[in-house]
Amino acid sequence: MKKLIALILALAMSLALAACGGSSSGSGSGSASGSSGGSSGGSASGGASEAKTYKVAMICDSSISDGGWGAACYNAMIDAAAKKGWETAYTDSIAQSEYYDSIASYCSLGYDMIYAPGNQYTDAVLQAAEEYPDIAFALLNGAESTPAKAKNGNVSSLLPNAQQIGWIAGALAGLMTESGTIAFIGGMELDTTKAKYAGFGEAASYVAAQEGKTVKLLDCVYAGSFDDSAKGIEFANAMIDQGADVFFGDASAVDSGARQAIDNTNKAAGSVKIYDIAQPADILGQNECIICSQVTDNSAMIAASMEAVEAGSFGGETLYGSLQNGALSAGAISDLVPKDIQDKYQAYLDQMVSDTFMK
Amino acid sequence: MSFVSNLLLATVRMAVPLLFIALAELYSERAGMVNIGLEGLAAIGSLVGFLVCFISGSTWLGILCGALAGIAVNMIYAVATVSLCADHTVYGMAMNIFAPALASFIYRVYFGAGSDLSQIELMRGIGLPVLKDIPFLGDLLFNQTPMVYIAFALVAFTVVFFNKTRAGLNYKSVGEHPKAAATLGIDVIRVKYLACVICGALAGIGGAYLTTCYSNTYSEGTVAGRGFIALAAVIFGRWSGGGVLLACLFFGFCDALQIRLQVASFGLPYQFFQMIPYLATIVVLAAIGAKKAGPKASGKPYRREER
Repeated sequence: MKKLIALILALAMSLALAACGGSSSGSGSGSASGSSGGSSGGSASGGASEAKTYKVAMICDSSISDGGWGAACYNAMIDAAAKKGWETAYTDSIAQSEYYDSIASYCSLGYDMIYAPGNQYTDAVLQAAEEYPDIAFALLNGAESTPAKAKNGNVSSLLPNAQQIGWIAGALAGLMTESGTIAFIGGMELDTTKAKYAGFGEAASYVAAQEGKTVKLLDCVYAGSFDDSAKGIEFANAMIDQGADVFFGDASAVDSGARQAIDNTNKAAGSVKIYDIAQPADILGQNECIICSQVTDNSAMIAASMEAVEAGSFGGETLYGSLQNGALSAGAISDLVPKDIQDKYQAYLDQMVSDTFMK
Repeated sequence: MSFVSNLLLATVRMAVPLLFIALAELYSERAGMVNIGLEGLAAIGSLVGFLVCFISGSTWLGILCGALAGIAVNMIYAVATVSLCADHTVYGMAMNIFAPALASFIYRVYFGAGSDLSQIELMRGIGLPVLKDIPFLGDLLFNQTPMVYIAFALVAFTVVFFNKTRAGLNYKSVGEHPKAAATLGIDVIRVKYLACVICGALAGIGGAYLTTCYSNTYSEGTVAGRGFIALAAVIFGRWSGGGVLLACLFFGFCDALQIRLQVASFGLPYQFFQMIPYLATIVVLAAIGAKKAGPKASGKPYRREER
């Protein structure tokens, strides 16, 4: 009798796991996955029911519901898939040890394209690309040199210009800082994070110098996580103690913790004097302290990759995302930014687009 | 001065969720139940706490429901290990896989995937009159959310309960020698189930604290390893209430310190600072000695009729 109950319990648990873990990785701590058809599939497939339905799968180490990086990358895939009529699937919140297994399981399920949004997946993507030569791998934030390393030529890097991302935030930070101290919170030490940090600092210094100010950018800190919003609170508190009054970051849910701490400090002071610049989606209004968002639209690059897959020409290249081609931009600006500063900021953005910034 | 007082404030903030979760494990292990599933229990607690608070607007209701969710999930572990004598480690691990996945699932069903962050109103701090005006210590100890006072009160209760009360000694005897306890008329199975209820409730509260008193948003993985650190804190604190408190404050302090040092930056690579909590643990463990001091029957299944 006891054995029977044990068996039923074990069965119930494994079923529950399977239900939550989806078709692939069920071994992660809290990983989840799901899939959905392209939203245009229902109506469009009527006439061309014989046409092949392409499928794209995304893996992600943070959650797609994090209101930051993961969510933006997921929504970019959904937008691109809706445009092209592709089916999508995802597995998120996976540990580093599961990168490769998650990719490989989608490969063996016959997905046409794997979308890996992050520099940290480079090794796992290259390994899988070698074993699955017929599948396209789109590596967001991949290095320029990565496509050449894939023996089968089936890897492309989608590369938003990290320096320009830093510039977009940095120029506004340089204009807005009153204390002369600005701060940046990173999740992990990635090449793209370092480039954003560098761009943020150089743009802020340049713009501040034009205004007759000097700016000190605090050293880049790393939370070692993209999920631990409590860490973000503590980092922001410590940086506010150091005098920082404009924040930018690259750490998903950790950033949302930082915004909470900034809001609290502003509330205690009775006025909004410490600001945050959000990324990578336009989330103005989510927190009081957000004065602007640096927006990265990855969907155009993903859609271009999808076209290449359909045409059979995918791979071996780097697709750039920049201010010039519209993949990068500055989002809506809060009323906390005075009109004259908004105009100055717009002028700097125009310089960036025309490639005359800091020249 | 402000560096020190801010550092200590951060220490208390970071230690309190750990403290709830570590006390959960303490009550579990004192009845001989090694529950390594704390991470999972806290995860479901954090989700349910947040969700209930989001819907009802009441942080207290959120924390209560977080506790209930922790109990409900921990009952799977309880039935499997107490009644069916299954392996504690295996089922604890199963909790760690199952519960966070369940939490993600519920969150996405409710909010949808890739949605914007939802925010709640956090529990407000209550300063104790007069006491909060004591310089330095006032802000640190007497100007916090009620949950912080509850956590510290719980430690005091635990110390008295396990050392000075008959019920507490009976409870402890189940973890030390369940057969001897049974011969004295103690219902071992009942105590073990009670331990699982307390453990589930406290770990659920620890998780709910994170999303209703600490961070005003929910993100998957928000527990971020605290379940495992709490497990270490119990061993570190030599299975006693006071020890667990010190261990949690110690871990909280090290983490707060590494964050402050990273920000203050002395031109050193940030990895050195990130190492601090772990290095400190090794040093202190080596210093106090790692003699086994836990309940003797910890992790062993209890079969009443077996000799």
